[in-house]
Amino acid sequence: MRRAARFAPALILVGLALTGPYLAPHSIDAPVTMPYDAPGTAPLGGDQLGRDVLSRLLAGGQELLLTSVVIALVVTVVAAFLGALAALRPTVGRIIDRAADTAMLLPTVLALLLVALSWPGGGRYALIAAAVVTGVPYAVRVVSGAAAPIAASGYVEAAAAGGEHLWHLIWRELLPNLRATCLNLFGLRFVAAVYIVATAGFLEIGPQPPEANWALMIRENGAGILLNPWAVIAPSLAIGALTVAVQFAADALAPRPGRAT
Amino acid sequence: MARQLTLLAGLLARRAALLVVLLAVVFAAVEFLPGDAARSTVDRGSSAEAVAQRQAELGLDRPVAVRFAHWMTGVPTGDLGRSARGEPVADIIGAHLPNTLLLGGLAFALTVCASLALGCAAALRPGGLRDRTISTTATVALALPEFVVASVLVLVLALWADLLPAVTTTDDDGWPASPTMLVLPVLALAVAQVGWNTRILRAALADEYAAPHVDAAICDGLSPWRVLTRHVLPGALPSFAAGAATSVGMLLGGTVVIETIFNYPGIGTVIAGAVHDRDTPVIAGATAVTGAAIAGVLLLSDLVRAWATGRRA
Repeated sequence: MRRAARFAPALILVGLALTGPYLAPHSIDAPVTMPYDAPGTAPLGGDQLGRDVLSRLLAGGQELLLTSVVIALVVTVVAAFLGALAALRPTVGRIIDRAADTAMLLPTVLALLLVALSWPGGGRYALIAAAVVTGVPYAVRVVSGAAAPIAASGYVEAAAAGGEHLWHLIWRELLPNLRATCLNLFGLRFVAAVYIVATAGFLEIGPQPPEANWALMIRENGAGILLNPWAVIAPSLAIGALTVAVQFAADALAPRPGRAT
Repeated sequence: MARQLTLLAGLLARRAALLVVLLAVVFAAVEFLPGDAARSTVDRGSSAEAVAQRQAELGLDRPVAVRFAHWMTGVPTGDLGRSARGEPVADIIGAHLPNTLLLGGLAFALTVCASLALGCAAALRPGGLRDRTISTTATVALALPEFVVASVLVLVLALWADLLPAVTTTDDDGWPASPTMLVLPVLALAVAQVGWNTRILRAALADEYAAPHVDAAICDGLSPWRVLTRHVLPGALPSFAAGAATSVGMLLGGTVVIETIFNYPGIGTVIAGAVHDRDTPVIAGATAVTGAAIAGVLLLSDLVRAWATGRRA
């Protein structure tokens, strides 16, 4: 029961973000009030062009969420495969280790800028590519760390000696035992993906105006923060609540309580 | 002693090799950008001949491998090449890097001190109210992106309470004009990293408390503080050092965002501008310096781990 309670906030927020665009009372790109109008006509006031902040808030979560889910899924699947492979084949493991060491020298935001601009028409796909490339090295280490003791245990060695294919060993023998690790990893990569997608939005290299996007809203409305603070506070709270709720859900999935991964 | 020197040399060589690989990757990545520095620095509407001439001036007509080799041989002497606008890259970086190192260094110091204090405070009474409050707050903090923290801090502390300046202005030497201008950027950078490292330390301390020699120390009647500082903390330090080292990358990456928000005169703003101009030498130089800084901290963390495990063995 307590476990369910830790998932509830994340599920509610994800549901709201997904259905939000259909609940929005106004269009996201037509002015309904004065620029930076205080709450009144519109429940949360107007933004820099007088558009309804509430409608843009409701519309702005869907893409952030879907892009982040895709990133977290791809990173987790790739990392699960490579991590299991590294545990079974020490040579591959060493190469992966070196690659991860190298990737750590490049801050995520810098990698994001490089990829997004090397692929100007890439839009969301460039963002996903950058997030996957920077996320996998960290994720592989988590999986290979958890997979190493299992790979060394008798039954995997027995299966290998019995002539099972590498493919079979990875998907049938190793990964089913790493479900908890992989689920927790998915949660953590989702938090990291929201961070990257939101930061890209804030740096204006992901979604372009007039698209509604929480990170973009924070950036765009900074100038009028004193006139209508809600235009900045509401999307800030939305991003904060989403990442925190998902983080708690990921914690609930952690394989060993009380130990950070 | 000789063994330790060999170990140190090995660690150094490995970090240096990784750094060279990273530089090659970054240099190649920037080369694949569709626009180039020649087009972004000539006047709009210039003829194809003018662009070609500019490319020749900048040396962009030579093969990538030749340019990379030429650039790499300059790096050890401190020559990072010239930017697309003709300024020495080392000068551009030299003018902005100290500001970023000040910002990042303060944020890192705050991260280490605050997470040490909070992690220990939480671990002293496991399961208590203080432990639960600190652990929950740390989880909330680590999930928040820097620009969200920064926006809320600016609104509350700068605009409503009017306690601190919301933007940075520089004095004649290029430094922030007042120390108060550093408070908000440092806080906005450090909050998430304090959360992250507090959790790592808390978990590592919990593992150490489960060790038999700690039980023995507690049974001997040593004070909780002495048990913590003498018997538990040393064992948790390798994990903490590794966690803090990964924070450095996040802190340096975060400066790109934070410097934009606070208009802070550091290398983050230089990187953002250089990517816009497709200015390969500037990006490669900034990445070299950032990567070298991170490699240095990772090396320190390796040394702390080697020292701590050697001490225990």
